[in-house]
Order: sequence, then structure tokens, then C-alpha cells
Amino acid sequence: MKQAIVGVSALRKKYGSQEVVKGISFTVNEGEVFGILGPNGAGKTTTLEMIEALRPIDDGQVTLDGLDVRREPQRVKERIGIQLQSSSFFDKMTLTEHIGMFASMYGATVDPQQLLQEVELADKAGSYVEKLSGGQKQRFSIAVALVNQPRVLFLDEPTTGLDPQARRHLWDLIKQIKKKGITVILTTHYMEEAELLCDRVAIMDNGEIIALDTPSQLVKDLLGKGFKKDVVVQQATLEDVFIDLTGKELRE
Amino acid sequence: MARYFNTILVIALSLLRRFTRDKVALFFTFLFPLLFLFVFGALFRNDSVSFDIALINRSDTQFAEQFVKQVEKGKVFKINEKITTLDEAKERMGRGEIDSIIELPESFGKPNSQGIPSGKLTAYYEQANPQTGQTVAGVMQQTLDGINKGLTPQTEPFTVQQRPTKTANLSSFDFLLSGILGFTIMSLGIFGLANGLPADKKTGTLRRLRATPVKASQLIGAIALQYWVIGLLSVAVMLAVGLLVFDFNMRGDYLNLGIFATFSIFLMFGFGLAIGGWAKNENQSAPLSNLVAFPMMFLSGVFFPRFLMPEWLQGITYYLPLSPVIDGLRLIMTEGQTVLQLGPQLLIIGVWTVVIYALATKLFRWE
Repeated sequence: MKQAIVGVSALRKKYGSQEVVKGISFTVNEGEVFGILGPNGAGKTTTLEMIEALRPIDDGQVTLDGLDVRREPQRVKERIGIQLQSSSFFDKMTLTEHIGMFASMYGATVDPQQLLQEVELADKAGSYVEKLSGGQKQRFSIAVALVNQPRVLFLDEPTTGLDPQARRHLWDLIKQIKKKGITVILTTHYMEEAELLCDRVAIMDNGEIIALDTPSQLVKDLLGKGFKKDVVVQQATLEDVFIDLTGKELRE
Repeated sequence: MARYFNTILVIALSLLRRFTRDKVALFFTFLFPLLFLFVFGALFRNDSVSFDIALINRSDTQFAEQFVKQVEKGKVFKINEKITTLDEAKERMGRGEIDSIIELPESFGKPNSQGIPSGKLTAYYEQANPQTGQTVAGVMQQTLDGINKGLTPQTEPFTVQQRPTKTANLSSFDFLLSGILGFTIMSLGIFGLANGLPADKKTGTLRRLRATPVKASQLIGAIALQYWVIGLLSVAVMLAVGLLVFDFNMRGDYLNLGIFATFSIFLMFGFGLAIGGWAKNENQSAPLSNLVAFPMMFLSGVFFPRFLMPEWLQGITYYLPLSPVIDGLRLIMTEGQTVLQLGPQLLIIGVWTVVIYALATKLFRWE
């Protein structure tokens, strides 16, 4: 039996009169990569931010690593790493300086060079964040989220806006993080990303979870209902062509 | 507990390093107030009254030559050497380039019937400017009286003795320097934060910090520490320029100045924090910070001393937050007072500090 590290039960959030999260419940097991899928506006980010203790919980309960998020938000923050969808870092401050500053907020000591090595940004240690490319920024953002050696890492649409090479590169990084035993909870609206990375996915729409299982089981269920694609499945996609033509090398 | 303060220190140092790379911020913190100091300092530098004159000497006597030398030596008159004819001098006086013309006639200094050198000089002045004419003629008369006495020794039965007194002798530069120092502290605190915080909100930098266990009090403490260091540094730069370039006479001690400046920086930082912490973006913070700063700038004695205002206005402006800052700085620097003597100023600063920080903590928003 796998150990649950995050437990969400009957979680609700209202903005004005509109309920954006409608009493959802799920658990995330230790060491897995858990995906929350859904179209824009489904409530993914709001759900994530309530678990991260960044947004007040209207109703319901969230536990993380045995802590009640509502009651001990500060201790929860100590144990998690967060890559926010719309956040940035200070300008005119180097990567190394950022890592040192963020580490101090956790009372942690890290070797910035080694951490940057892990996300392949060692040669950018002295650069300012604003000089990085989109993919580099996302990798740096993940590096900063790892300064406190978190138990759970939250990634909110980590590959949105990246080119196919940078996206694949980030997938590799997430797989490595998983290998270290860190639980990863990510949101995405790219299905192939979820299929490739996630052990289990929850599909959200209109503030509700409408399906939750392993990607292969979800596909199996669909086929069981007699689903057939209109067109014969291609052996390759346009993205495969693109990668074949342009190579897997990072462009930054 | 140690971790709490270590975090503050590390963030403050990081922010300070970032500040040194920000050319715009450096300009507005150090160079901009210095510009004010130079412009107004140059305007107010010359306090003593002096007259620009043209001296037309038509006499070739030794006496006339000595008289000219004596006038040149005195500090009251500055002789324009370029003017040689009376017509040219009159034209220049008409344009206001010189205040007066002194003409020594050909006979000036030639012995009279009793064998004593004598003569009559003419002092021209603009009709519209009788005061200048009187003063110039008066000073000339005095100079001649001195010579007369030497030539015909006799005691005058009644004389007036003039004795100037010299006390603190505040020059307008003394007022200007404390005013500009106050302005520097105010603009650093108000404009620095009121612009900086909303910008960090817009980019999501503050949001990212909020995702860590860092507390608002730690972040504010770190920014305060950063502004304290920068503030003291800019006060030191200003003061150094005042001492070296403008021969400012520092009568107070530096420790008292540092302590008082610290209270002042802390107060002004509170205003910036309240505005920047409340505002969601620069569109909200910019007009508000101007609304707060401009009245203080003109009513608290930055560019001209408050004692020049009508009395009722002095009474009101006394309680503006910047007034006790500028008054206190001046009392320390030019009158050598200590912080302990500045009770009234510290009281006003203290009340404002309590009010503004209560407001700032209430209004602070992360996003």
C-alpha cells in the first residue's frame, strides 16, 4: 500500500458568487508524479494554490505530510517547493544570489553551483534572471523550488510557452526529480505531457474532478466504452517530424 | 530566532547589491539631490552685499591712484576693469550689469589753495535705484573721511561707533543644506518604495517570496535595513559635498546626526511602505506619492526656510512630517544640538511614525 502524502477532501473555493472549486477530493501518493489536467479556467491553479497555503481555503480540508494546511501554513511552506505560473524573480540579481537568498528564507544551506548543475544552468550562475531564455527560466524556477529539499514539488504549467526541445528537456528534469523520491504535483493542458510524465492524473472541468486514474487505465476505460478514432492512428505526429528535422538539442 | 534575523540580513544584502546595479535608482538617490544642492548652493552662496561698479579715473595724480587701489582692496566694490569710458559705463548700468559709476575728475587729488590734496568725485546711479546710489555714495564718503582725517588731524566731538555682532551667523546655505538633506531622505523613502514595491508586485516577485516561509515582517525589515544603509550613505555624501565644496561649518557631532537621520529615514520609509504596500501598481502609487511628497517639499523648508512663511502657515507646517526632520537636522548641524535636546522634533516624528506604520501594516498587500 502506497503512503498518501497529500490528502484533499471536499475542498471548495468561491470568488464572489462563482464557485470555482466545487468540493473536490483526492489523494497524492508519496513519490508519484500527479497531474491535474483541464482546460483553462477549470480551477487547476486555484486548487494548487490552496494546497500550497497561498490562498485561503473556503471549505474542506487539506493535509500535507501530516500537517493541516489551514492550521499550519507556515510549516507546510517549509516542506514544499513551488514553481508558480505567473511569478518572476528580482531583476539585476544573479542566479547564485537568488539561490542564496531563497535558501536563507528556509534556513537552509545549499551549494548554488551544484544546484544549478542539476538543472544544467551552471554556466549561467553569474547571469541575471532576465537574461535567461524561457526554458532556462523555468529550469531556474525549479532549481529555486528545490533549495529547501522539499517533500512535495508543485509545478504549475511548467512547459507552457516553451518550444518542443525545451519542453522535452524539462520532462527529463522532472523525471530525474521523481527518481530522487520527491513527490511532484503538476498542472498541464498538454495531454502527451501528462501521459509521459504522470503516474496518475485527475481531469478537472468546471471546478470538479471528472476522472482520476492512471493514464493507461483512462484510455482503456474510454476504449471499453466502444470509442473509436475517426482516422486511423498515425504512426508518427507532426511533432515527431519537427523533432526529427530540428533535433533534440536545446536552442537557447 | 537567529534564523529569523539571518534571513533579514541575507535579503537586505542581496537587495543592496541589486541597488548598486540600478543606475536609475543611483541617479535619483545620489546625483539628483546633489544637483539641487549645487544649483541652490550657487545661488545662495554669496550672502554679503557688494556692488559692481565702473571706475573712471581722469586724474593722473598719485593721490587718485592710491585712492583707486584702496577701493579695489575693499570688499564692498567689485570694479569692472573692462569699462573705460563714461558712455560705455552708463550704457552698461542701464542694462543692469553694473550698479554704479564712480568718476574721478581730472583735478581729483590736486593740491588746493592751502596745499592739501582735494577734489570731488561723482557717483552715478540709476534713478530707479536710489538706495544703491545712497549706499555707494555713503561708502565713498566714509572712505574719503578716513583720508580727510589723515590730512587734517583734529578730533571730532561726536562720533558713532559701529560694532557688528557675530553669533551663530546662519547663512542661507546652512538652511539649504538641512533642507536638501531632508528632501533626500524623504524622496528616498517615499519614491523609492512607492515605485519599487508595486513594480515587484506586478512582475510577481512578491508572490514568489510569499510562497516561501518568509514572513512579511522579515521582508519589510530587510527592505528597511537596505534603505537605512542607503539613506545614511546619501546623507554622508551630501554632507561631504557641503563641507568640501561649500565650506559648510559643521557644529554638531556626527553620531547625533546619524541617530537623528536614522529616525528620519525610518519615518519616511513608513510613508513609502504604506503607499507601495497598498498600491497594486504604479498607476495607483505614482499620484499618491506625489500627493504626499509635494506639499511636504514646499511647506517643510526644503528650498526656503519656514520662518519666511506667514505666521499662521508656520504654525500649521510645523506639524508636517518633514518639518521636524529638517529642523532637527539643522539644529544639530548648525547649532550643535544633541538628539536629547530635540524633544519637540522627536515627538512629532514619533507620533507620525506610529500612525504611518499602523496604516502600512493594515494596508499591505502582497499582490
